[in-house]
Amino acid sequence: MLCEKCQKETASVHVTKIVNGEKTEAHLCQNCAKELGEFGLNIDLPNLFASLFDYAPFSGKLVRPKQCPTCRLTMEDFRELNQFGCSDCYETFRDEIEPLLRRLHGSNHHEGKVPAQGYATLSVERQIRTLRERLQQVISMENYEEAARIRDQIRALERQSHGEGK
Amino acid sequence: MSKSWTKKDGPQGDICLGTRIRLARNLAKLPFPATANRDQAKQVMKTAKELSGGLDQLASFRFLDLAEVDELERQILMEKHLISPEHTKKTSNKGLILSENEDISIMVNEEDHFRIQVLMPGLQLNEAWELANRVDDLIEANVDYAFDPDIGYLTACPTNVGTGMRGSLMLHLPGLARINQLGNVLKSVSQFGLVVRGLYGEGSESYGSIYQISNQVSLGHSESDMLEHLARVAEQITASERQARKYLQEHNLPESEDQIYRAYGLLAHARIISTKEALDLLSTVLLGIDLGLIHDLDRGLVKKLMVEIRSAHLQKMMGQSLPAQERDRLRASLIRERLNR
Ligand SMILES: [Zn+2]
Ligand SMILES: [Zn+2]
Repeated sequence: MLCEKCQKETASVHVTKIVNGEKTEAHLCQNCAKELGEFGLNIDLPNLFASLFDYAPFSGKLVRPKQCPTCRLTMEDFRELNQFGCSDCYETFRDEIEPLLRRLHGSNHHEGKVPAQGYATLSVERQIRTLRERLQQVISMENYEEAARIRDQIRALERQSHGEGK
Repeated sequence: MSKSWTKKDGPQGDICLGTRIRLARNLAKLPFPATANRDQAKQVMKTAKELSGGLDQLASFRFLDLAEVDELERQILMEKHLISPEHTKKTSNKGLILSENEDISIMVNEEDHFRIQVLMPGLQLNEAWELANRVDDLIEANVDYAFDPDIGYLTACPTNVGTGMRGSLMLHLPGLARINQLGNVLKSVSQFGLVVRGLYGEGSESYGSIYQISNQVSLGHSESDMLEHLARVAEQITASERQARKYLQEHNLPESEDQIYRAYGLLAHARIISTKEALDLLSTVLLGIDLGLIHDLDRGLVKKLMVEIRSAHLQKMMGQSLPAQERDRLRASLIRERLNR
């Protein structure tokens, strides 16, 4: 199928819109589609397309709000329900959730119980992190003897976690 | 307020009526209950039923499919704080795993797949946490939980993420209420990152000067740190309540005595009484026992009445559902019978 606007290139972008129950379709090539996006109102296509491009910044495909691939929840849904749909939502919306958790809990890092199965290395990682913090403290207090001891502990744990990782 | 809760007083039992630990847990790779389809919800129920068999080293458990439990029985479970009000309404694919003496309960397909709950009398945060933790370990040995190394146990509502834990104490504070210091004390509680609720949970008003305090935050601290914080604040509150009671004894005795005996008299003779009025009066009588003003009444009997007079319990006793007016009459006669025995 040829592009409806230039009639030269192959139409690779297909846009569908339903207005008053009537389905209208446009078939455009990449170039014309891009052009349309930038100069949405200056073209001689039916007005409904102009308004369509007006609200959806055009770059070859329509931009949809981020959606959880597993349960299809969007952040807008979340704001309405105050609940997530599945555990994958936490991965999908990690960037949005981080500040939310800070606001709710004053933290975005789990410090509590860890399931025993398959998460054994995690607690080692946490021990290392805690020791590193402690290391900074003793160094700032110029307690180098203690610092050396902690450094050894960290090295031992690191060896352990690498060993388990394999 | 399980069986064990009303039977014994437990540590600090004169002020702390009970301890509750709740852990929110979800199974990996299944949507949370609100978005799960029927097959997925059924799968969670099936898993829960199988799991209940594996818990027998702790106690003997039964698995209830709430769709097969009649409405009155569900109300009773709610009045005993074993299931939430939400869990009594929609029943399809909702379950409950319950230990024989009702100190351990697991709501299935409530807001999260599992809500593990341990109830103990008195102030026993560490003991209750240890038991909940063991239940959790036994379940976890057989399933994969939804867990993220950075943010911990994943829950439907982000307010429960991390440890998934909420520790609650049910405190009886009639002394502070009487010297008009309750507002101040409870306000300072919320400044320490804790939540205060009435007897029936979220947003409910106070009945009988009974308040629940619990941790608000579930992420960023270990379980034991959170519980220690809660215990410390509770210590301050119980100390203030003791001071208030001492004040009543030393400076306000005639008035207190009068109020307490009036309450006793009303309970012993009233013919129609609502749940709220009964709870308020029973709370006052309980204070009378704790202040050493009432000697001829068993403390356990009063505490037990505080549960028995609730609507579903009354109806169960009568073996039928009753209109509100009938309940109020029946409640009054039950109390009279118990107190005049
Ligand atoms: Zn074109
Ligand atoms: Zn999701």
